[in-house]
Amino acid sequence: MSQAAVNPAVLSRLYLHAVLPCLSALVANDSMAQQIVGSARAAIVFRILRGPAITIRLANGSATYERGAARAPSVVLQFFSDRHLNAFFGGNALAVPVPIWGGWRLALLARFTKLTDRLAAVMDGHPDVLATAAGRALHAQLSLIVAGLGLGPLASGDGPARSALAHCPAGLACFLIEGAQNATVWFDHGPATCDAGWGAPPRRPDVTISFVNYAIAFSAMREEIDTIAAIGTGDIKVTGLVPLADGVNLAMERVSDYLQA
Amino acid sequence: MTSIPNRYRRSHELFARAAKVIPCGIYGHTSPVASLPGEFPYYAARAKGSHYWDVDGNEYIDYLCGYGPVVLGHQHPEVEAAAAEQQSRALCVNHPGEVMVELAEHLVSLIDFSAWSVFGKNGSDMTTWAVQVAREHTGRRKILKVTEAYHGMDPWCTPGHAGLVDEDRVHIHEFDWNDLEAFDRLLSEYRNDVAGVILTPFHHPVFKASVMPAPGFWSHVESACRREGIVLILDDIRAGFRLDLRGSHKLFGFEPDLICLCKALANGHPLSAALGRRELRIAASRVFLTGSYWNSPPAMAASLACLKIMQRDKTPETLRERGEALMQGLVEAGKRHGYAMHCSGPAAVPFIIFADDPSMRRRQRFCAEVTRRGAIFHPHHNWFMSSALSPEDIDSTLRMADGALAQMRDEKI
Repeated sequence: MSQAAVNPAVLSRLYLHAVLPCLSALVANDSMAQQIVGSARAAIVFRILRGPAITIRLANGSATYERGAARAPSVVLQFFSDRHLNAFFGGNALAVPVPIWGGWRLALLARFTKLTDRLAAVMDGHPDVLATAAGRALHAQLSLIVAGLGLGPLASGDGPARSALAHCPAGLACFLIEGAQNATVWFDHGPATCDAGWGAPPRRPDVTISFVNYAIAFSAMREEIDTIAAIGTGDIKVTGLVPLADGVNLAMERVSDYLQA
Repeated sequence: MTSIPNRYRRSHELFARAAKVIPCGIYGHTSPVASLPGEFPYYAARAKGSHYWDVDGNEYIDYLCGYGPVVLGHQHPEVEAAAAEQQSRALCVNHPGEVMVELAEHLVSLIDFSAWSVFGKNGSDMTTWAVQVAREHTGRRKILKVTEAYHGMDPWCTPGHAGLVDEDRVHIHEFDWNDLEAFDRLLSEYRNDVAGVILTPFHHPVFKASVMPAPGFWSHVESACRREGIVLILDDIRAGFRLDLRGSHKLFGFEPDLICLCKALANGHPLSAALGRRELRIAASRVFLTGSYWNSPPAMAASLACLKIMQRDKTPETLRERGEALMQGLVEAGKRHGYAMHCSGPAAVPFIIFADDPSMRRRQRFCAEVTRRGAIFHPHHNWFMSSALSPEDIDSTLRMADGALAQMRDEKI
């Protein structure tokens, strides 16, 4: 429980650098998303005026995420401020971005809107999504990715998260779902800088937090199980530098504070 | 539940039941989370002397001693006889027993700066009350403590994060152990508003090596408190009576204003105490304290017996000798197998870490292997010696450690 206010710049980076990267996993694992992408070939840029930009590329039935603006984008969606982007991702229908390039590609924009709607349904845990084991697994996977990648923005600008990380040792923390492909996120907490990624960690982790299966990850991510008891039963395993896991976990709790704000 | 090691099957069965009806299954410092889940027993069945048995029948030489309270060994006959005799007459009645007065008199005679004593059940009861006494005495608000120092589970000091509001710690300020410049900065920043400084005699953070006070640390803190009219509170809950029966401040050459005691006070019976200077007596009388079981006589009778035995047997000397033998033996065993192991803390409250082990995995594996062989070593929390640990126990433990290290070396851990 933290009473600390949400920092708009952190929230916008969470959307750009933690939520939007989930499109890759969504399209890779969700048949509905794959149908939406179809044969589209496009580079869609999200940009905050005088701020960061990211690119989502759709090609060959997949979606990839890149930091920065693509050189020859299909569409550039510009937001005037962090608050503007946050309002848009928060569901404010009036906070639409300005298509400063490619606004005439209405079919592509409609297709991409469908894709982000599907992402929102999976991440929010829409009943239709959670009705199947595959949907629950995907929800858990995306939640894990957002939590892991979200640590980067939080570490750079959120007071409680920075405080939690400042009090824990440096090292590489890795979160994974056992037996699952593409369900590993890592966070490298250095003395001065930090980095987060999805996929194989850059070196042997100092601490590994593993969920025994998707069902446990799903329940843990949704705060539906007693995670301390789950560690005792072995459903969640923490091996190595436990204080790093504690600090990172505490910082991670801020992700939901932000995305539910 | 995932695969259950046969060695701990009953522990895990109980835990599975507990997890359904008890938050965390086991909460607090004895939670499996705090040690190595799956590698340690979860539930104990019985204990005697320096040994205990888990619910699966595994036997252990005990280097945790109930996380400190058991200083003379489990079920010490003289202590248990005193408690039982008292309990046969009164367990929980409407008034304190005569033994409360006797115990207060005895403690005041032991702790030379003290003029009075009060009692509770746990360490937190006393540290929180002591902080209030410091505020009442000085009319000030601020409390200084050391980062990562444990003083209990109340909101002003809990290491937990849940259920707190920012206001809980508005007047709590931290500095790093042995960092006198940071201490002085806080004193300067909050001049005339610091009510108390609460410190443990040496620093014993969880997960890390213990750190002894640097030369001049205690004299500097003590003189600053005297100069500024600040109440110096010694949290001697973990180390008290194991290092010196007159209070751990005697070992380090300073004198606090208040001392909080618990663990070794009654050899496992639930009791804590705070003792203070005469000057704090009025403030102490004004700060309310009570609890449903705080006047219960059997624990006080146990304490009186325990204190007298420790005086008679010079228990701190025994603990130091046994602890030194254990630590020295472990370091030598480490050398034999190519591991640099570092002892930390006083020998009676020892802890050991491995060099070049930033992820703690080597230490965790070592403690798990020794525990599997029959001597409980906690990988993250300091250990406690009891006077029941015999030279044979130490030798046996060192053989287990040798086997564990040999296995680790073979597995290139």
